[in-house]
Amino acid sequence: MDLANRKKELVEEFSPMIVKTSLWGKLWIGGLIAIILVGLYAFFVQIQKGHEITGMRDNVVWGIYIINFIFFVGISYSGAFISGILHFYETSWKNSISRIIEIMTVLSLVIGPIFILLCIGRLDRLHYLFLYPRIQSPITWDIIAIMTDLIGCFIYLLLTFIPDFAILRDSKELEIPSWRRKMYKFLAIGYKDTPTQSKRLHKIKNIMSAMIIALAIVAYTVLAWIFSLTLQPGWNSTIFATYFIIAGLYSGVSVIIISMYVIRRVYKLENYLKKIHFIGAGIVLLVISLLYGYFTFSEYFAKWFSHKTSDTNLLNTLFGRYFWEFILANYIGIIIPIIILFFKKLRTIKSITFAAIVAVLGMWLNRYIIVVPTLETPFLPIQDTRTEYLFYSATWVEFALSFAGIAAFFLFFTLLIKLVPIIPMSGIIEHERKVIKKTKNYTDGLE
Amino acid sequence: MENNKTEKETDRRKFLKLGLLSSVSVVAGTSLVSNLASVDEKLQSEKIRLLTPEGKIVEVDATNINKYPEAHITPTESRKGIPNRKFVMVIDLAKCNNARSCVESCQKAHQLDYHDEFMKILLIQNNEEDAPYWFPKPCFHCDEPPCVTVCPTGATFKRDDNIVLVDNNRCIGCKFCITSCPYSARIFNWGHKAKFDNKDIPYSPETGIPGTEGTVMKCDFCPDLLRQGELPHCAKACPMGVIYFGDKNEDIVTNGIETLRFSKLIKDRVGYRHLEHLGTKPNVYYLPAVNRDFPLERGLDKDEEILERYKNVPFIEEFIKSSKI
Amino acid sequence: MDWNKNKNRFIISLIVILLFSLNSNSQEFDAEKYRMLYNFKTVKQADNTRLLEVSFNARNNEDTKDIIPVFGAEIKFYSSLEEKEMLLGSSKTTKEGIAKLILPGNQKYLTNKDGNITLNARFEGSDKLSEESEEIIFKNVHLELDLKEIEGIKTAIATVYTINNLGEKIPVETDISLYVNSMFAKMKIGEGSITDGEFEYHFEFPTDLPGDINDNLTAYLMIEDHEEFGNVIQKKTAKWGVFHQHKKEKKLTLWSQYAPIWMYVVLTILLVGVWANYVYTIINLFKIKNEPDAFETKNIIRNT
Repeated sequence: MDLANRKKELVEEFSPMIVKTSLWGKLWIGGLIAIILVGLYAFFVQIQKGHEITGMRDNVVWGIYIINFIFFVGISYSGAFISGILHFYETSWKNSISRIIEIMTVLSLVIGPIFILLCIGRLDRLHYLFLYPRIQSPITWDIIAIMTDLIGCFIYLLLTFIPDFAILRDSKELEIPSWRRKMYKFLAIGYKDTPTQSKRLHKIKNIMSAMIIALAIVAYTVLAWIFSLTLQPGWNSTIFATYFIIAGLYSGVSVIIISMYVIRRVYKLENYLKKIHFIGAGIVLLVISLLYGYFTFSEYFAKWFSHKTSDTNLLNTLFGRYFWEFILANYIGIIIPIIILFFKKLRTIKSITFAAIVAVLGMWLNRYIIVVPTLETPFLPIQDTRTEYLFYSATWVEFALSFAGIAAFFLFFTLLIKLVPIIPMSGIIEHERKVIKKTKNYTDGLE
Repeated sequence: MENNKTEKETDRRKFLKLGLLSSVSVVAGTSLVSNLASVDEKLQSEKIRLLTPEGKIVEVDATNINKYPEAHITPTESRKGIPNRKFVMVIDLAKCNNARSCVESCQKAHQLDYHDEFMKILLIQNNEEDAPYWFPKPCFHCDEPPCVTVCPTGATFKRDDNIVLVDNNRCIGCKFCITSCPYSARIFNWGHKAKFDNKDIPYSPETGIPGTEGTVMKCDFCPDLLRQGELPHCAKACPMGVIYFGDKNEDIVTNGIETLRFSKLIKDRVGYRHLEHLGTKPNVYYLPAVNRDFPLERGLDKDEEILERYKNVPFIEEFIKSSKI
Repeated sequence: MDWNKNKNRFIISLIVILLFSLNSNSQEFDAEKYRMLYNFKTVKQADNTRLLEVSFNARNNEDTKDIIPVFGAEIKFYSSLEEKEMLLGSSKTTKEGIAKLILPGNQKYLTNKDGNITLNARFEGSDKLSEESEEIIFKNVHLELDLKEIEGIKTAIATVYTINNLGEKIPVETDISLYVNSMFAKMKIGEGSITDGEFEYHFEFPTDLPGDINDNLTAYLMIEDHEEFGNVIQKKTAKWGVFHQHKKEKKLTLWSQYAPIWMYVVLTILLVGVWANYVYTIINLFKIKNEPDAFETKNIIRNT
């Protein structure tokens, strides 16, 4: 095989994705920037007027900011977990989705923590966390875990990008501005795909894969502990960490499926993202949704069965004021995906994507159901007349910032796809190399 | 006074300049702007009236009246606690008739707004058959305080004298302590208030004055008064003598009217701590509401707004129904 | 002493002037609507000094909760006998409406033949406020307190007497109470009455009181609101307490400033483990970066 030629071919194939931006693409980016700008305005309003502008009050002190935080970090964690596992898993089809997962992992880990910052009353004192640290606090653990995880994921992402950066750097015919070429040169850190280099790269990739699997579990466990280590009736649960991990996987796999669908449609990558990817991911999602349903049931069943007063009060809130949210999150959001994914005949690309969308929305609502009703149902009754202190409802500031977070996720995703092909070229070459090697061994054996 | 004004003016200009210069550091810039906005608002401090021998009634700032300890207790000093003391509170539920004097005097002393209450009076009815009772609820200053455990910066801390305090200069406003307190004892400064700018008295965690936007507050057992050998504001203000306070080391508590042995009082009256099973080990004890001094209804003679709070209590539901019929 | 008093007066009047000049919105006092509450009491304290105290307030007739302290009113204290009057001193009311005067133990008073002393506290009035005056008549009584262990029993011995013109101790008849001091208030631990002809009364002292950190307990013996003797206090301290404060060990707990050691150990192991791998990875990245020579030299060798 002529390596140089093959590389050229691949660069040519993917260059439209990297070099050009269609009118729709520009509109898309413009729209996302507009949403982010609205979010930034909301942020300024919040800084200026204080948290009074949010729907949070003395009882429900954490609102949709923390829900978004759990949600994004959950996606990130499951992305890290899945890509770490995929790395050790020898299969031909993993190459097409690995980059989607890696990008998703890093982006959601960048955006998620921003939401926890929005929750903090005194951003100007953030450095106190390092000036006066108390390591008994789960928040301290969380900060350490997320920062370590973020750095780990960045390193891992760079490792997977390096061979492709090298290919792009070497593609002289690619029509890109010189600053981008310089950037590729810098980011490729002199990688020339020599056997020693590739061996070395593979070795550290192995290490980092193992690292990010472990870190993902630790980070998400610590996040679950922020809730489960308190005495609150809805939170103080021993299965919470595991429940969060399963729930994170549930939303993570769903986001992967949705991203695959969108990228496949937009960039016409039917050759790379095949039905088998959707079926595979769909079956993984089925298994996880069964587990997730099982955990959800156990969590509430135990509360209902043992009916401690505080638990009963919580269940009354959940099945009273939050009836439809509860049904949507914990019935519809679990059962619909299970039904779609369970029957072989229903497993089409579109239906699997639909199931994933239902799962993601259900997951977000499930977080809401975990955070808000618990805070509205403390041990001692809330005896207050101010409705905003009794019940939480998010204000436009919180919604604007939430949508800005989602828009930022899409925007960065779009921009990263412009930076490197979403299908790793180096992965395709490596796979072809292996196939040739195998057939060569085979033919050698025949002779 | 005039001087003060011009000083503020120039300060404000300085702030503006600073604000413009530091627009790069977004957060700092805007918090300065928000500080600016409130300088103009009149400081609404508590006034008290005095009569002069010349027959004039004059109003004086209550802050001039509040007797703070001679020596200012800095945030660092306030972490130590009063030596060899273990403060404890006993609340006699049989005597409480929702007079709300404790709430009001506490609010006055801590410069709290109408709705901000360190001491809350709940109406508790444990089940539909049970007799409801008024339940004054301060911070319990637990021996195993979950709020202190979860604080990432040590802004809230437990002292040797049992008191759990908040240092508003240290608090970053993560609100984790609020979610971890099973007694809902903590409240948050959600927005900026003009009174926070009042720098007449230097800030001390022992008084919590002036407050700070974006930080947590709660009942502090009034260590500034304790240092002067005086009872906390709530205990002093209660006309029924509901709130006993004292040093557990001395084993003596007082409500200002009678002074009793703490251990004997708890034993004789079967004192208990609220939600004991949570393992927080509160330092506030309750004496059950048996042989009450007043009928519960005595506490219902209150503003609509106050009564409205209790409308979900089964007893009050019944009460409203029967009074309508 | 005198200078100090004058200085204080000077400062107070300065404050008064300041207060008034700051508050131009002062309002006229309507004497019709208010009733003046004027109360005079005296206590003979443990160091034999005598505290004279006047509280002076105006109470709204319609709203009895509306009580305004009179601030800065000069109260003059006299000892009087029939027509004779001797000025003992004067004091101004504070923001709480209280004027205090402490007289030394050896203060001479005008005394009648029965040993009765009459004290008078007077506010001389102003254009707007009328004159107020109150009188207290009492006999100077001597109160002694001794804390002794008698036959293994901790006993507080109270001795009460008056001294007649001849300097003889005369027993008196009165109720007495025994208190023990605490941080915020005195707790009553015994009551008794001294009957005719006796000088002493024995209280059995409780043995389980903690006292302070040095095991010190201060006992107060009091005659309270006696019609003949007024208020008299005597105190004494003994090492009779059983202070049981828990051992003062600085434990490392979840809520202390520093965490239990094992938490640091675990956290360090985890962080060192992870970061060591990061560092290893980054070192390898640099190795990759510095490798092109190998490739080129290989090619050169192959080509030649």
